[in-house]
Amino acid sequence: MKLWYSFVKELQLSSKSWYFYIELGMAVVLLLILLFVIPKESDSRRDEYLYAGDLSSDYIDLIYRGILDEDDEDGEYERVEIEVGGDMFGADLFVTDTRNIYFVDDREAVIRLAEEDKEVGIDIVLGSDGGLKYRYYLQGYESNKLRNLYMILHNNKVNFKFVDRHMDRQTVKTIEENPVVMNNRENVIPVFLTYNGSLMGLFIIAAYIFLDKQEGIITAYAVTASKVWHYLLSKIGVMMVTTMATGLIIVVPVMGLKVNYLLLMLLVIVTAFAFSSLGLVITSYYRDMMQSFGVFFIIIIAMVIPNISYFAPSWEPVWIKWFPTYHILEGFKELISRGGDTGYVLLVSGGFFVAGLLLFIFANYRFKKTLTI
Amino acid sequence: MIRVNNLYHSYSRDEKYAVKDVSFEVKEGEVFGFLGPSGAGKSTTQAILTGLLQLQKGHVTVAGYDIKNIKNEMFNKIGMSFEQSNVYSKMSGKENLEFYRKLFDVPTRDPQELLELVGLGDKGDIKAGEYSKGMKHRLTFARSMINNPSLWFLDEPTTGLDPAIAAEIKNIIKEKNKEGVTIFLTTHNMYIADELCDRVGFIVDGELILIDSPKNLKLQYGEKFVEVEYLREKELKKESLSFVARDDIERLKEIMDHYEIQTMHTKEASLEEIFIKVTGRELA
Repeated sequence: MKLWYSFVKELQLSSKSWYFYIELGMAVVLLLILLFVIPKESDSRRDEYLYAGDLSSDYIDLIYRGILDEDDEDGEYERVEIEVGGDMFGADLFVTDTRNIYFVDDREAVIRLAEEDKEVGIDIVLGSDGGLKYRYYLQGYESNKLRNLYMILHNNKVNFKFVDRHMDRQTVKTIEENPVVMNNRENVIPVFLTYNGSLMGLFIIAAYIFLDKQEGIITAYAVTASKVWHYLLSKIGVMMVTTMATGLIIVVPVMGLKVNYLLLMLLVIVTAFAFSSLGLVITSYYRDMMQSFGVFFIIIIAMVIPNISYFAPSWEPVWIKWFPTYHILEGFKELISRGGDTGYVLLVSGGFFVAGLLLFIFANYRFKKTLTI
Repeated sequence: MIRVNNLYHSYSRDEKYAVKDVSFEVKEGEVFGFLGPSGAGKSTTQAILTGLLQLQKGHVTVAGYDIKNIKNEMFNKIGMSFEQSNVYSKMSGKENLEFYRKLFDVPTRDPQELLELVGLGDKGDIKAGEYSKGMKHRLTFARSMINNPSLWFLDEPTTGLDPAIAAEIKNIIKEKNKEGVTIFLTTHNMYIADELCDRVGFIVDGELILIDSPKNLKLQYGEKFVEVEYLREKELKKESLSFVARDDIERLKEIMDHYEIQTMHTKEASLEEIFIKVTGRELA
């Protein structure tokens, strides 16, 4: 019962503090970013503007058929109008997997698009030798490598058959059949949950403890018939509640019912427990936030590193897996993606629970030793 | 109620002792004053007795519990009023007491009753953060009584209080002592110690110099003189006379019989003067 009273009191006190509302407010801000700033599906197609009006209609038909047969998504092109500096120009639009190709009616449009809108513009003309010539309108900052690539691309100096043969000899391993692709918003949620939720407990609990140290609350508590670990656990309880609340604020509006909330809350709670316990251990060595700031700063920066491999999966050295946040990110990712690995989430949760428990036991030992500090 | 044998404590865990070979005993129902200047080792000793500092060397029992293996149930019997107020500033005075009463396993006192006892009866619903320093101190003092302690640790209980409030606090301490509560008073204020304590211990540089009752100390170290002012032929005269030497006693009788006495004071030594005489140190 004493633990319960302490927890309720801590909850009441935290509801009167700024930190509580900063955490919730931050969750709302992150949600707004998710909903209104990050597009659900991003169009990664690159726009290319070509002018081939000087070619004969036979050549143009040949080029169009080539694109329609090999690249175009629906096998048709559509007639569109594009605006360049307030002027409208007609164009034929081909949509491929990677590009939106506009064949504009007017060379001026290509030049102005390059000049005014910094787009890639290409003028295709018939050379004196009867072959096609490509004139690229660049911005001026392109590297020599790119310029050279454009130069050799169309002049048959590269043996593409050799390149193809070389590529065919490469062994391609399929790591995952039918991977579930998350949309942009879903992909960012694990990051928000990890850093605004789990990891935030590290900082906020330190703020609460240092405030209590400043007011001498811990020593007053220590001379009651309640145990010090009640005090510490009630603080962690508040961290868990706020982390759950911030997690739900972020996840529910974006994911709806597409998430196993039981598992999500389990992971949220155990990671909040582990990082809050770590926060307690650190605060037991210092008098105030100023003294401990360096340690917190180093830990936070270190914990952010796995973010790099999260967004750039090709960079995933073995040592990155030693960072706890790597597993939190992956755990949340498994939960957010449909058909995620439940076993992995449970394993990560178990790991963080054990780590949190050990840290909590050590924090309790430290606090009992340093009550008058 | 308290037994301390050969207590040592070093914050740096070396030979620099904040408390060095301290031994004393406090009997049940006694008011024991632990007196000394700042940094003498008073608070360190008290922190060890209340479990706030871990016992390093020596043997200490408090309220029948061995401090080496401190048990939480011990705190049901003891109360602690800190020198520095330490209350939840975001909670009202009453909420503070309501919360703390839930942390004990014994019958507790009504928070409103305690607030009224320390003169905060009408301030119970105000946040403690809005209290003055003296009000916070009184709230801390009231909180130390919430569990009806049989052993009461008081650290500078009247510091920062105006004389009227300080007098009320002293009366409460006297009343609790009459009810049988043992009191361990830590202070550098010799007047309060003199007024409240049955026995006092002088501690300087971590060492307990002496223990005795204020009365015995005054008898032992005080000067047995009386200073008298009287009018003789419309002129104010002043004499210091021993009330041990027969001649001086006769002279005093003569003055009283023949002249108009204006003032008369015994030259009894104060505890502060005795402390300086014994330890060679000032209290401040």
